[in-house]
Amino acid sequence: VSAAARRRRLGVDVVGSLNLVGALIKYLGPAALVPAAFAVAHSEPAWPFLAAGAIVSVFGLLLERFTSGGEGVGVREGYLVISLAWLLIAAYGGLPYVLAGDPQLGRPVDALFEGMSGFTTTGASVATAVDALPVSIRVWRQETIWLGGIGVVTIALAVLPRLRIGGRSLLESEAAGPGVEGGLSSGIKETVRRFGVLYVGLSVAAFLALALPHWLGARHAMNSFQAFGHAMSTMGTGGFSTEGASIGAFGGLTQWTVIAIMAVAGSNFALLYRGLVLRRPREAARDEELRAYLAVLLLASAAVAGIVTWSGGPQHGWEAIRGAAFEVTSVVTTTGYFTVDYDQWPTAALMALALLFFVGSCAGSTGGSIKIARHLLLARLLGREVVRTVHPELVRPVRLNGVPIDQAALLAVISFVLIYVAVFVAGTAVIALESDVHGPAFGPLGFVYASASTLANAGVGLGAAGTTGSFAVFGDISTLTMTALMWLGRLEILPVVVLLRASYWRV
Amino acid sequence: VRIFIVGAGLVGARIVGALHADHELTVVDLEPARLRALARRYDVATAQASAASGRQLLNAGIAGAELVIACTSRDDANLVAGSFARSVAREAKTIVRTSSAEYVEIWREGRLDVDCVVSDQMETARAVSEAVGMPAARHTDTFADGRVQVLELDVPAAAGAALVNTKLRAARLPGDSRIAGLIRDERAMPLRGDTEIAAGDRLVVVASPHAAVDWCRLVAPEKLAVRDVVVFGARELGAAIARSLCEQQLVVRVVEPDEARAALLAERLPAARVFHTDGLDPEFLKREGIARVQAAIFAMRDDARNLFAATLAHLEGVAYRIALAHTPISDRIYEDAGIDVTIDPLLVTSEEILRFAHDPRTRQMAMFEHDRFMVLDVTTRADSEYVGVPLRELPRRGAYIGAIVRGETAIFPHADDMLQSGDRVIVFTEAARAAEVERAL
Repeated sequence: VSAAARRRRLGVDVVGSLNLVGALIKYLGPAALVPAAFAVAHSEPAWPFLAAGAIVSVFGLLLERFTSGGEGVGVREGYLVISLAWLLIAAYGGLPYVLAGDPQLGRPVDALFEGMSGFTTTGASVATAVDALPVSIRVWRQETIWLGGIGVVTIALAVLPRLRIGGRSLLESEAAGPGVEGGLSSGIKETVRRFGVLYVGLSVAAFLALALPHWLGARHAMNSFQAFGHAMSTMGTGGFSTEGASIGAFGGLTQWTVIAIMAVAGSNFALLYRGLVLRRPREAARDEELRAYLAVLLLASAAVAGIVTWSGGPQHGWEAIRGAAFEVTSVVTTTGYFTVDYDQWPTAALMALALLFFVGSCAGSTGGSIKIARHLLLARLLGREVVRTVHPELVRPVRLNGVPIDQAALLAVISFVLIYVAVFVAGTAVIALESDVHGPAFGPLGFVYASASTLANAGVGLGAAGTTGSFAVFGDISTLTMTALMWLGRLEILPVVVLLRASYWRV
Repeated sequence: VRIFIVGAGLVGARIVGALHADHELTVVDLEPARLRALARRYDVATAQASAASGRQLLNAGIAGAELVIACTSRDDANLVAGSFARSVAREAKTIVRTSSAEYVEIWREGRLDVDCVVSDQMETARAVSEAVGMPAARHTDTFADGRVQVLELDVPAAAGAALVNTKLRAARLPGDSRIAGLIRDERAMPLRGDTEIAAGDRLVVVASPHAAVDWCRLVAPEKLAVRDVVVFGARELGAAIARSLCEQQLVVRVVEPDEARAALLAERLPAARVFHTDGLDPEFLKREGIARVQAAIFAMRDDARNLFAATLAHLEGVAYRIALAHTPISDRIYEDAGIDVTIDPLLVTSEEILRFAHDPRTRQMAMFEHDRFMVLDVTTRADSEYVGVPLRELPRRGAYIGAIVRGETAIFPHADDMLQSGDRVIVFTEAARAAEVERAL
């Protein structure tokens, strides 16, 4: 009776939301069996993983058991469900590090950061010496990214459009799954079923592409274990690596292969589904966002390579081109790997990368940030407004792929970009303030990188947090801020912001 | 032929007017006043019935008809009446009028079981396109699958000695063409070698498409090659016109005062530049280059607004204006105001319907000068009185032959040429004598 009464007082079905959160996270427990198996094989303790897996599954089951109504939750509960679920899942990701008492990742604040970084497919790490981490923990880090990736595709294609964020029109209504009537939980199941197969298939293909040169005897190629780890984190566009030198530990062929996989993972999965599964590649290739995305990758790579070469940077010729192409793709797809020490690059190149944090990959991909589709719409909207100053009576709809986009969706794009920038500025301020008091000496660009790259789920740091260091150099307040930025960025900010409004909770 | 006409509105009345002399007509409509007006003028049977009521149509005698024309202003009623006629009068041909082009497409795909569908919007857009293509002509029509063009031209004083005040036999006229009619003071003049064309005459010319362009150049050299057009009004007719002009690769601007209408057309027709304004602001017309377009089309629903906008456009320098006329009187008012071409959507629709309704030997027809003159496309019989007679001995029965379509080629005959049986002739005649000419051929 009291539960029913409480429901009547709130406008949100909290109990039903908790029920759905429980139903979702209970499936994550068995995922810990993979690092546990590696632990057994390498004579490392397996119990932290088994315990973490058991805790999350039991917690999820209990949550589901003692609440009810998960099937009926609607749009309004969706904001609460994804916000809460991602927070709990991040905590689960960090749990094994705490339980194992790892010297680099064991502090709860660091563990939560690392867990959030994994499940949001960011790839920013507080581990300074990755090579010193136990094999099982390295596997778990890669796996959290891979699992996060499928979650990201699901919320991008099935959940956010229902919450009227990103807008169905930004994706493809046909591929975005069943209609809103299906309810949140059935929409999630349908999308995981449809895109899960594609995601697994692409991951297997990525693994084979990375491991094959080694099997054929090529030098500086990934062995099976490294290929397994990197296939997982590349598909999820998270930048965790099993190596301290990231992809720089491998040869040119492997680096180009990783560039290609990153580019695929940064494409719209609804489009990949259409091109690869439905076998309509020509139709997919006509997509304006995909074309703009490839153009951005090419042009930005050329620009950065040019800057590095002309300024007499540490790389020259093909080295510069490969290094620039890799880092640009890594930033645009918000993956976060590195091959060269970009800290040595001229400031102009670093500024270019900082701008690319705000570009992002395609809508409906595992990547983060503002996304190409929003930039396209924004550019067209601005272009139209410029034309309208000269031709005030002109009526011209803004289109994407020929489809007219309505005013509400355009307004949503503008709002999102503004909120995104505001959150970035606030995040930068907090990190800069705390680091001035407490932390290591950073150039101004270092704060921009820390804030922009966590908000964009790219995970690229500069200076002491860069290629040779880690995010461990930041103080606890900054670490928590960046954890929140990753969380916000992954959920496209608005679901969390909505929860802060009293009107959300009222009837 | 027993013809059953559903609908006695403007289209129905026109069809009755064109067919009453030679056929047995039954007209049904819901409004007794319309029926009374028709019955007073013509010898036709009338019955008050709803187009959508099968029982009432049966009582009116639809089952005995050989041709059923459903031409009310309502698409749904016409479709119901047309398909009902199909089931009760199996031998009858059925013609259905619709407003949008959608049912024409469905009919062409073979998914609508009637003999012919005629769309107001399509016919109007086609008429506008033809007028835009021949800017010097008051009226144009295409015959024989585009091999023959019929033009109605006004002879301006400035036309020059090639045409004006020159005897016909001495005039240097474009080849592959013939003057089929000369109208002076609303009367058809006889065409002989010593006839002189005067400024202010109106000519009906039958020509090959190529020669038609030459004629336009001869009559009004300044009005050629339309590339930029503006359409006022983006309702159904305006939208259909704009779409058809876009398909011809013209630069199309559309002016529409209603915001939602403007937005809808802008969404559906990306090739056109759509403006949300009433278009009555000279500043706007200058700024958007509308004053410099080669042709302006006034397709708003209110003829008074069309006239007002057309006059303003003229003041701003638009040389060539085409306006839609929605009431019979508009035609004369537009002409008096100097609008170059008037297109009556209902008239072009009735012409198209009549083309199917006429003698089966008549492939096509066009009407001129408030329906007083006609151009027909008729196949000659072997025993026709015209066969084997040199053309110089014409006219007979006031008919001038403009072109002969023999097999796949169009011939623009000389005075010595003779008709053969089986020829298709493009013939100019007074409307009142059209049936007589058809019979004689």
